[in-house]
Amino acid sequence: MSEPTGSTGSTGSARTAGRVVAHLELPADPEALDTAHDALDAAWAEHPEIGAGERIRFVTALMEILGNVVEHAYAADASAAERRLTVEVVGDGDGGLRGRIEDNGQPAALDLSDVVMPDADAESGRGLALAVAALDDLSYIRVGSRNVWTLRCERRP
Amino acid sequence: MIEIDVSTERGIAVVVPRGRLNMVAAKRLREALAEVVAGGTHRIVVDLGETTFLDSSGLGALVSGLKAARQAGGDLRVARPTPEVLAVFQLTNIDKVLRPRPDVASAFDV
Repeated sequence: MSEPTGSTGSTGSARTAGRVVAHLELPADPEALDTAHDALDAAWAEHPEIGAGERIRFVTALMEILGNVVEHAYAADASAAERRLTVEVVGDGDGGLRGRIEDNGQPAALDLSDVVMPDADAESGRGLALAVAALDDLSYIRVGSRNVWTLRCERRP
Repeated sequence: MIEIDVSTERGIAVVVPRGRLNMVAAKRLREALAEVVAGGTHRIVVDLGETTFLDSSGLGALVSGLKAARQAGGDLRVARPTPEVLAVFQLTNIDKVLRPRPDVASAFDV
């Protein structure tokens, strides 16, 4: 098992903008999905201002991006010890969520404006389209030697 | 981690994934559904009442099972989706081909 480092939850009690739900530093392997999911599940109790709908849409998108990173960001010969990712989830103070995933893998060759939902009988290829559909904004940029994904999920009435 | 229970009664297999159907678990669901069809049961209900999360690979496994069951002359139906699962069905428009049924027992009635 890979234990997360960093922290979950928040030290502040007031509802403030930018309240940290989780900050995780993890090995970029498939176990990271369950580790991050467990950490978030444990953190939600501290964030009653986040509704179930926002939580579900956000986590759905976050897991798709994490899955994409651990499956596609690294060359087959990249050493397991060097594959690292960070996940930060922050409440926006208004019932919405912001997320940031960073990894030290290879640059991703993709254009998020090109992403379309495959036909109903497709067995794969829905990941990024699902993330885009679940969020209000998804962006990917390369910063130095890192990939940075940012996620925004607004509260919906 | 996920547990996948499979039982067969009166020619209908009921498959119950308990836990998160994520990238890691989807492969096991895909194999479980393929095994059911290969074993000669072509009508399958996937009971999603205890599936706490579904991602695109889990959805891919369901579509794979649906196609295998239909090719064999049967069908795959889904029942009792949790809010987490239903959200993914709606966001991907898969609810058009995998129409969620309210319960397992009547999933093949209509």
